[in-house]
Amino acid sequence: MRALRVAMLLIALALCGGQTYAQPAQPRYSADGLYNLANSYARAGKPGLAVLNYERAALLAPDDPDINANLDHVRAAAHVATRSRGRLARIVQAVNPTYSAWAGVAGILLVGFGLVVRRVAARFLWVRISGILIGAVLIGLSASNAMLLWPRMHEAVVLINQAPARVSPVPMGDTAFVLPEAETVTIVAEHEDFALIRTRGGVSGWVARANLGAVVPQARDSLDSAALNSR
Amino acid sequence: MRAWTMQWVRVIVAILGLFAPVGYAMAQEALAYETIQPSHIRLGESATLRVTSLSGELKNVPLPAVSGLSFEEIGRSQGLEFVNGISLPSSSILIRVTPQMAGIFSIPGLTPKSEPVVLDVVGADDSSALGSRKPPPAPTRPLVATAPLPKGVELKAGGAAFVHLVIPRHEVYVGESVPVDIEVGVRPGIVTSLNGLPTLNGGEFTLNNLSREPERRDRVIDGSPFLVMTWHSVLAAVKPGDFSLSVDTPLTVKINARSAEDMAFAAWLGGPFLQSMYNGIAPKEITITSPSSELKVLPLPLEGRPKDFSGAVGDFQVSSDISPTRAAAGDPVTLRLHVSGAGNFDRVDPSMFDHLDHWKTYPAKSSFTPSDAVGYKGEKVFEQPLIAAQPGEQSIPGLELSYFNPSTRHYERARTPPIKMTIATSLADSSLSAPVEAKNPDGAAANLFAQGLRPDHSQPRSSTGELRPLFFQVPFLAVPASLALILAGSWFAVRPNPARTTSKAAERTLAQLSAAARRDDSFSFFDGARNALLQTFAARWHMPPDQVTLAEMKLRLGAAGEDVERLFALADEAKYSHYQPGSTDFQRWLGLIRGQLIGEGK
Repeated sequence: MRALRVAMLLIALALCGGQTYAQPAQPRYSADGLYNLANSYARAGKPGLAVLNYERAALLAPDDPDINANLDHVRAAAHVATRSRGRLARIVQAVNPTYSAWAGVAGILLVGFGLVVRRVAARFLWVRISGILIGAVLIGLSASNAMLLWPRMHEAVVLINQAPARVSPVPMGDTAFVLPEAETVTIVAEHEDFALIRTRGGVSGWVARANLGAVVPQARDSLDSAALNSR
Repeated sequence: MRAWTMQWVRVIVAILGLFAPVGYAMAQEALAYETIQPSHIRLGESATLRVTSLSGELKNVPLPAVSGLSFEEIGRSQGLEFVNGISLPSSSILIRVTPQMAGIFSIPGLTPKSEPVVLDVVGADDSSALGSRKPPPAPTRPLVATAPLPKGVELKAGGAAFVHLVIPRHEVYVGESVPVDIEVGVRPGIVTSLNGLPTLNGGEFTLNNLSREPERRDRVIDGSPFLVMTWHSVLAAVKPGDFSLSVDTPLTVKINARSAEDMAFAAWLGGPFLQSMYNGIAPKEITITSPSSELKVLPLPLEGRPKDFSGAVGDFQVSSDISPTRAAAGDPVTLRLHVSGAGNFDRVDPSMFDHLDHWKTYPAKSSFTPSDAVGYKGEKVFEQPLIAAQPGEQSIPGLELSYFNPSTRHYERARTPPIKMTIATSLADSSLSAPVEAKNPDGAAANLFAQGLRPDHSQPRSSTGELRPLFFQVPFLAVPASLALILAGSWFAVRPNPARTTSKAAERTLAQLSAAARRDDSFSFFDGARNALLQTFAARWHMPPDQVTLAEMKLRLGAAGEDVERLFALADEAKYSHYQPGSTDFQRWLGLIRGQLIGEGK
């Protein structure tokens, strides 16, 4: 009986591993690589793709001054409004999101250990209180960082100039307004090949997905990019 | 003989002399009339309405109110008019008439006895309507053409009007569109107005696209001037069979109530009497009907009918194109099918693509551009948006249209060739590929963006497989969630140690007993010891303290039970007889109590 269980466990592990290796290779992102790619798009006169890659680079390295400076420069050259952030947001977002996430985990550990140890030992009171306080601060920092990053998960950059925003998600829909290249918009909803976007001015319209580049690529986009890189 | 003749002349002169004042008085009362020049104008032009009175100076006349016309008095004039050789003083008022719309207007008489006049206004861009009114280029050409009455057509309304339905063919198919002409001829001045468009008799046919403004031309028919108006339309039969067709046209015609003999006598008498005869003419609304035309309607053959036949009957040609010719994946392109020719375009409905591999299809829409007035000939364009799902070489199959050709009497199928196009990778998909700077055509824009850029970084030091921050990755979220669950479970699982709690209570009790021993307070020492032991035994044995008896203690504690019994006895002695043990005894009892409280004596 035990041999049968072990065999089933091994088969399950083999299947899981096989599926993992069978998936196409994911593209590798690096802040420096995306920054250099954005620079090359800017030199090629393609502000939409440049801003898109700067935005992606800024996700990985939010405190990189070169990324932010070039992002503002290209936006200004494309006559697109630059993003203004508050002081608190700048402080919170200066932390690398990966470090912030792990800091949150550490905070949970500190608070949890502090509370559990208090149940079993009455000694080291100040040590326990300090641990709980530090943990709470780390959790708060991590949560703030996550909340500030959440809207950027739904942002996209307009890749062509005069991209039509239509009143309905069909190619023959009437054009409500046009979007300039390199404008950053928020994707509110999606329907087939169109995305309902909202500009910073609060105006909404349906734009062809082919005319938008999501700051955080969806799974399908990632696969397409991987296939593209492999060709 | 001469005397006889002279006598008759005297008699006639006498009669005329007697009736002359009466006739003059009638003429004085009746000789006021209106004319309008010109009577045919374009929209945007003006005509002059002249109101003339032969009975002295005209006083102010009220301007008429006619919908679609505006009136403005522009002057007055005095003069003499000769009527049958008699000069009569005349007084006229000139009124400018400006139309706001096209149509045939009847302007009522402005004086009690004057007759209405008719003004014909055509559209500003209707070049054909007034073509016949334009001055002829050469003086030798006739002003109006002379034409015979169409064959089989009779003049109606006392010779004032006729209507004629012109059908080119007398054998048609069900659903087939047949262009027809409806000609209405009217004598201006006698027919004062058309009261509606011509209508078809018979429910088996539909008359489509009847032109709103007819073509106008002047003709002399049987020696009388006629205004001939022609409407173009398309006739379609709804069921097979043999039918006769005719057209009704409502008119208003001036009809004289006097007899022909009276009119002839008045004409012989001259002006004033003739004018009195014309006062008997009154307008009347009538409807004239065209001669019947026979038409045979054939059913469409069932043999060879294609499954996708939509009812199109005619002669059609098809072609297709796509725009833009270069597109990227995800970009919408428009596939157009052009259907041109002649026939019932309203039934032309080729099946566009419902599904196409590697393409996303959207519903098609159509538009029709007629090349004639009635929409019998023209071009119908079907536009279908398509979105390429993937890059690469793509082929769009040809489109087909099935129709019935009445000329060949067979069903036919028109096809377009397939369309091939190359779909490029979309911008969003290629965002991670390096741009081809050499192909950039917009050098000025590139310089604009390149100037002021900070330099590239060195080679990437670290990379990640996911741009999405860790917070929003499900595998990572499992880590803090699991930790939180484990810690929460630990918090509930880990309870304070009861032995440690008991130990601390025992330490406190022992401290109190030691203090009592140092004070030589035997009562407090033994009483406190007894209570502490009872509480300890009760907790240890899970029973109330009052049920802990000496027998129970002996049974559970064994030899130690005797010492505890002795301690309880000393407690009673200390309480009731003030027993005072020595300091050595206190230490011995403290040792015994400590052993029991911390469980060493179990």
